[in-house]
Amino acid sequence: MRALTRPRALEALPARLDRHRIYVLPTASGLFFGLLLGTMLLGALNFNNNPALLLALLLAGAALASLIAAHMQLSGLRIDAVAAEPVAAGEALHLRIALAADDARQRRGLRIAHEEHAAHVALDPRGTTAELRLPTARRGLMPVPKLELSTVQPLGLARAWAYAWPAQSLLVYPAPEAQAPPLPVPAGEQGHPQAARAGDEPHHLRAYRPGDAPRSVAWKASARHDNLLVRDYEQQRGGELLLDWQHTAGLPYEQRIRRLARWIDDAEREGRRYALQLPAQPVIAGDQGASHRHRCLRALALLPQDASPLEQADG
Amino acid sequence: MADAHSPQMGRAARVQVQLAAAACLLPLLLQLPASLGIGFGLGALAVIAASWRRPMPALLRLMLGGCALLAVALVAPGIGRDTACAVLAAMLALKPAETSTLRDGRSLVGFGLFAPFATFLLDQGPISLLLALAAVLLALLALQRLAADEGEVAQVSARGATVGVVRLFALGLPLALAAFWLFPRLPTPLWGLPQRSIATPGLSDTMTPGGMFDLLLDDSPAARVQFFGATPAPQQMYWRGPVLWDFDGRTWRQAHDLQRYPAAPMQSAGAGWDYRIDLEPTENSQLIALDLPTQLPDGAYASRDYTPWATAAQYNVSRWRMRSAPPVSFEADLPPPLRARALALPPGYNPRTVALGRQWRREAGSAARGRADAAIAERALAMIRRDFAYTLNVPPAGRNEVDDFLFDRKEGYCEHFSSAFVVLMRASGIPARVVTGYAGAYRNPIGGYWLVRKSDAHAWAEVWLPARGWVRVDPTAAVAPERVYDTIADRQPGRIAGLDALVPVFNAGDWLRRGWNDFVLGFNAQRQQSLLKPLGLDKLGASALAALFGAIAALALAWMAWLIARGERQRDPLLRAWHALEARYRRLGRGRAPHEAAQRWAARVAADRPRAGEHLAALARRVSDARYAPIASREALRELVRDLRRHRP
Repeated sequence: MRALTRPRALEALPARLDRHRIYVLPTASGLFFGLLLGTMLLGALNFNNNPALLLALLLAGAALASLIAAHMQLSGLRIDAVAAEPVAAGEALHLRIALAADDARQRRGLRIAHEEHAAHVALDPRGTTAELRLPTARRGLMPVPKLELSTVQPLGLARAWAYAWPAQSLLVYPAPEAQAPPLPVPAGEQGHPQAARAGDEPHHLRAYRPGDAPRSVAWKASARHDNLLVRDYEQQRGGELLLDWQHTAGLPYEQRIRRLARWIDDAEREGRRYALQLPAQPVIAGDQGASHRHRCLRALALLPQDASPLEQADG
Repeated sequence: MADAHSPQMGRAARVQVQLAAAACLLPLLLQLPASLGIGFGLGALAVIAASWRRPMPALLRLMLGGCALLAVALVAPGIGRDTACAVLAAMLALKPAETSTLRDGRSLVGFGLFAPFATFLLDQGPISLLLALAAVLLALLALQRLAADEGEVAQVSARGATVGVVRLFALGLPLALAAFWLFPRLPTPLWGLPQRSIATPGLSDTMTPGGMFDLLLDDSPAARVQFFGATPAPQQMYWRGPVLWDFDGRTWRQAHDLQRYPAAPMQSAGAGWDYRIDLEPTENSQLIALDLPTQLPDGAYASRDYTPWATAAQYNVSRWRMRSAPPVSFEADLPPPLRARALALPPGYNPRTVALGRQWRREAGSAARGRADAAIAERALAMIRRDFAYTLNVPPAGRNEVDDFLFDRKEGYCEHFSSAFVVLMRASGIPARVVTGYAGAYRNPIGGYWLVRKSDAHAWAEVWLPARGWVRVDPTAAVAPERVYDTIADRQPGRIAGLDALVPVFNAGDWLRRGWNDFVLGFNAQRQQSLLKPLGLDKLGASALAALFGAIAALALAWMAWLIARGERQRDPLLRAWHALEARYRRLGRGRAPHEAAQRWAARVAADRPRAGEHLAALARRVSDARYAPIASREALRELVRDLRRHRP
C-alpha cells in the first residue's frame, strides 16, 4: 500500500503537499460514528421522524466536513528542509523538519512519523520546525526515510495523511568502540608509549573556546573567575597525535573504524591535536576542535562499507 | 471498555465529555416519567462525582445497573418504546463510571448521541430539537477536544473551539438540507414503531364509565382544524371517534367486526364543511372526523358506523383533508342483526333502569313507532335536564353503575350520561349506541384555526329512529352545555386563576407549535411530492427523486470540494497572476527554473523570443518592484495584475 502512494520517488525540497498526494480515510472512531449515523438515519427514515432525520443529517454533514477540514490541515503545507546533526551509529538522530505554508490557515495537531517514531507539531503562520527522532543502525550516509505527515483534526473522525520523501542523506558517524586501548604515542615521543592520564593536574587554565569538551571545563576555577575556564592539557602533552589506520592493524575492518572513532573522541576530550591517516586518502592535518572532529569522523563514516577496496591499500 | 493502549483523558477533555453526555441525556430525561427522569439525572451526577478520581469497581457498576433496571421495570413495566428509552437513559447515566481513556470518551460521546434520537421517538417538539441541537454541538466539541488531546494540540479558547465546530456544521449544511428535502421517503415504514408501554391518554376503543377522567384533565392538544369556507357553530362540533356497540354491564366496546363493511347509506344535508385536520400522534389507526365524514382522503376510510380510520397507525402528526356534513337520514334501514345488536343488554345488570325503560315503552302506548321513540328519548332528556348535575367528582362504580347513576347519585360526566342514556333507550326498545370523540373546540385568534384538546374528549349517544336513522343525542349537553362546547371563559386555555394574562401567550405558543408541526413534522413522502410541484416536477417516481437528490448532493459535494481547492489557491492576486503567466510559458517549454530569478528568466526568454521577451522583462521588473520595493499604490497593483493576465507568450 505504501508503495502505491505518492510520492513514488525521492523528491527535491521544498515539497508542497497538494490534493494529489493527500489521502483521507475515516479513523476507527470515524467508522464507529458512521455506523451510529447509519443506524440513526435508517430509524429516522423508517419512522418518518423528521427531527431525528434532520439531526442525523446535520451530524453527517458535519462529519463529512471534518473529512474536508482534515484534508485542509495538510493541503498547502510545505516541507522546506530537513537536517540533522550527525550522531554515532546506534544513537537517535534528531531530524529537524522545517515546515511552512503559503497561507495563514491554522494547522494544529500535525503528526510527523516514521514507523513508530512520531512528533507532534502545530504550524504557526511563520512556519515551524518539527523534531523527529530517527534511530540509526550503521555509519555512513543514511537516506531520509519516507516521512508520513498526518492529522486527525478537527474531530478525530477522519485521518488525512501524506508522504514526503526528501532526496537527502544524513550523516551517521561510526559508533566509537566501547573498550579501547589508550591513545597511541604522539609523533614526537615514539618509543615511549604513554597512556593518557585524564586525572593529571592541569598546568594552565585558558579561556573556553567553542568546541572544547564539557569535561575539560574547570568548573571551580570558572566559578571564581566568572567566566568559563578550560584545563589546557596541550602544554603538558606537547606533541601532535597521528591516528593512523595502520595502528589498528589486525582488527576486523569495522572495529578498526570504531577504534579510530573512539581515539578521535579521546583526543578531543583530552584537548590534544591529532591528525588522521586513512588508506587511499590524503592525511587530515593535525588540528583540534569541533569542526576538525567532524571532518575526521565524516571521513571515517564515509569509508566504504565493504573492506575489499582497502585491503589492497593495507598491503 | 478500559483499554490499556488508549491514553488517559486529560482533565479538560473529561469535563467536556461528561458535559456532552449530560446534554445528550437531558432531553431524554425530560420525556421519561418524572420519577425515572429525576432519579437517573441525580444518579448520573452521583456516578460522575464518585468515579472522578478512579473508575468505579465493576461489581458496583453491575449493582447500580441492576437497580436502574429494577426502577425501569417498576415504573414502566412491559416492553415498549419508553421502556427501551428508559433503559438507554440508565445505561448512559452509568457509563461515566468507566470512562477514563480517550477511547472511552469517544464511545461515551457516540452512545450519548443516541439519546436525542431516542427522545424524538417519544416527543418531536421544538424544545426537544433545540436541546438535541445543543447536545450535538457539545458532543462535537468534546470529540474535537479528544482529537486535540490525541494530537497533543495546545488548548484552544472555548470561543475558538465553538467557531470551529459551528463552521463544520455550516460546511455540511447544504448537503444536509438537500438530503432532508429530497432524500426519498418511505411511504410506509419497513418495520413498525414499538408501542409505548405507558399509555398516553387518548381515545380508547372501549369505555368504562369513570375511565375518561385522566383525559378530561389533560389540556394538551389532540387536533388542530382549519376550515375552508363554512365553519360549523360550536354546537355542531362533534368530532366522531370510536362508536361503541357492545355493553357487558361495565364496559362499552367497539364493534371491530363492522370495520370491514362499507359505510352505511347516508343522505347529507347541504354541502357541509371542508376542513383540514392535523392530528397529534395517536399511536393507533383511529382518526376523528367532524360529524359524519362524507369524503376522506387516501389512506383513510370510514367503517359501517362512520368511525374514521387510517390504514396505518399514526406515530407522527398526520394531516387529513376531509369533508363532513350533518345527515338528513343515516342508515334509514337498519338490518335486523344490527338492530338486535343495538338493543342488546347484558342480563342481570341494572334492573331498575331496565324496568324504567319497559315502563316508558308501555306508557308511550300506541303512537306511531317513530313518534313514540322520539317521545321516549325526549322524556329521558327532560328527566336528565330536570334532576341531574354535572360533576367530575364521581365515586368508583358499583355493579349496577347505571342504576346508581340514574336513581341515586344523579351526577356524573359525559361517560355516565351517555352510558345511562343508551341503556335506558335500549331497555325501552330503541336501538342506541355510544359514540366517543371530542366535542367543541377553541378558536385560536392567531392563525384562525380551531384547537381540539384532549380535555374536550366526550361521549354522547346515537339513537335509531324510523325513517331518520341514527340521530345524535347528547344527554350531557342537556345538563352542562358549557362543559361540552367550551362556552365558559374558564375553559380557555392559558387562563390561570381567573386571569386572562397568559391567554395570548398560549395562543402564540400553540400557533408556533402548529407551524412547527406543519413545517417539520408533517413533511412526508406525500408533502415531498407537492413541494416539487412548483418546479414542474410533480409525480416524480422514487428513482427520479433519487436522481434529483443525487444531482443536488453532487452539487453540494462539489461546493465542499471547491472549498478544498480554494484552500490551496494562492491568496495574493499578484502572485497568482504571475504564476499563471509562468504556467503559460511552461506549456511552451520555456518555464522558469526554480532557482532562476524572474528577470534572469525574462532575459533568457528574450534571447530567443525577442518580442514577447522584452515585454516579459518589463513585467518581471514591475513584479519585483511591487514585491520588494516600497509598496506601490493599489491602482498600480491592479493595473499590473491586469497586464500580467493579458500577457501571452
